[in-house]
Amino acid sequence: MKLSLERGMAAARFCFAALLAASLSLAAPGGVAIAQAQDIAASDGENDPLEPMNRYFFELNKFFDTILLKPVATWYDGVVPEPGRDSVRNFLDNLRSPVILANDLLQGEWDRAGTTASRFGINTTVGLLGLFDPAAGWGLPQHSEDFGQTLAVYGTPEGPYLFVPVLGPAPPRDLTGFVVDQFFDPLTYIYWDRSSTVPLIRFAVNGIDQRARSLDTLDQIERTSVDHYATVRNLYRQIRNNEIANGQRDFDDLPDIDNLNFDTNEPNTPGMRY
Amino acid sequence: MSAMMSGLSLRMLAAPLAICLAFAAAPASASTQEAIAFVETVSEEAIAIISDKSASPEEREVAFRTLLNNNADMDRIAAFALGQYLRTPNEAQRTEYRELVENFIVKVYVTRLTDYNNEKLTILGARERGENQAIVQSEIRFTTGRQPVSVDWWLVQKDGGYKIFDVNVVGVWLAQEQRSAFTSVIRTNGGNFDALLQHLRTQIGRVEAGEDIGVTAAN
Repeated sequence: MKLSLERGMAAARFCFAALLAASLSLAAPGGVAIAQAQDIAASDGENDPLEPMNRYFFELNKFFDTILLKPVATWYDGVVPEPGRDSVRNFLDNLRSPVILANDLLQGEWDRAGTTASRFGINTTVGLLGLFDPAAGWGLPQHSEDFGQTLAVYGTPEGPYLFVPVLGPAPPRDLTGFVVDQFFDPLTYIYWDRSSTVPLIRFAVNGIDQRARSLDTLDQIERTSVDHYATVRNLYRQIRNNEIANGQRDFDDLPDIDNLNFDTNEPNTPGMRY
Repeated sequence: MSAMMSGLSLRMLAAPLAICLAFAAAPASASTQEAIAFVETVSEEAIAIISDKSASPEEREVAFRTLLNNNADMDRIAAFALGQYLRTPNEAQRTEYRELVENFIVKVYVTRLTDYNNEKLTILGARERGENQAIVQSEIRFTTGRQPVSVDWWLVQKDGGYKIFDVNVVGVWLAQEQRSAFTSVIRTNGGNFDALLQHLRTQIGRVEAGEDIGVTAAN
């Protein structure tokens, strides 16, 4: 049962963005999003050629979110006390360490790789198989990486926007990354009654937990968007670029706003970046 | 392969550079100090407004609207949010758009900001950008032990002082977020500007409805 819908995915982005921002001061020098600049150069506009199809899947995911994921997440949020939910989160995060480590190494982020490896060692032992996160308190905050980010660091553009059922926003670069990450993930190779059982359970629990963590935020975004689909697309790209840059801001890359106003007569089309 | 190589070497050069720019606090010029002072004042006022438990939601909204009009470059923000459709509205549409967008921003951000009541903003650094712009980096550190939230302020000179143009919260520029939604509404409605006005009216209504629910739930 795959459960992580668009909001789950978006929720993941929010969590990761928040974590990244938090680890900013301690994290090693980060990769700068070369891919970001190339994306912009390559695409003037929304870069969403399949928008009608994407909007259809977006609505479909919203529907399943309303009837399934959100109720389950709300129930989970209400029934399981916070320490329990935190342990679920810590456990799942710890299980992801091999994937993060692989991508840290592929990006040449040696310090961050060291952090990931130390965190895994500490949290698996002192943290009782990852149920607790003592490493964060010892100056080793969590960060996330995935193969989509690795591709971006080496200059792969995002590609046209794609919204797929269940997964949510997954343009070609990030969809490829998602698939490749499965191979880095030891859980993929654990055989229960079927080989897919363990990864699917993890996927579902992860989706529910992340959805539960963003109930208010996602409601608020929906309520305050004039175009929910376009807002999610934009948030996905901005948060993704921030993750790729490991939280480092690139202020030289901002649009030109110097002569921007309603009164000048010169044609003025500020670059449509996102 | 060559793309990979250039990506790599660029990255090696760019990473330390970015760090220097962002963190190695260059000797603060008068202008960056002014920018920092501006952000400190505005953020303190904003937090005071949302933390004032004695104020009614309406009073809070009025106070926030005043703060925004005094300290944000609303015209530039409104113009920016139209993207390539800046020249689309006629005079009357533009006037109504200006009003609606102000309403919309006040209502949306009063709701979104309630998370941060009684918190304090810590300034991390500031830098000038071009001749009349500045960026101030800051973060909100929570007393509850929650992860800090990074907030970057993009300021632009207007009428002899700094005004807010855009704010970045954990990596998301808010005006850019709104622009993508606004332009999308106009585009999906075949360039019809009235569609955006209609959406803004509806959304303002929905935010108001959401506020009521929120207040009931909190009590």
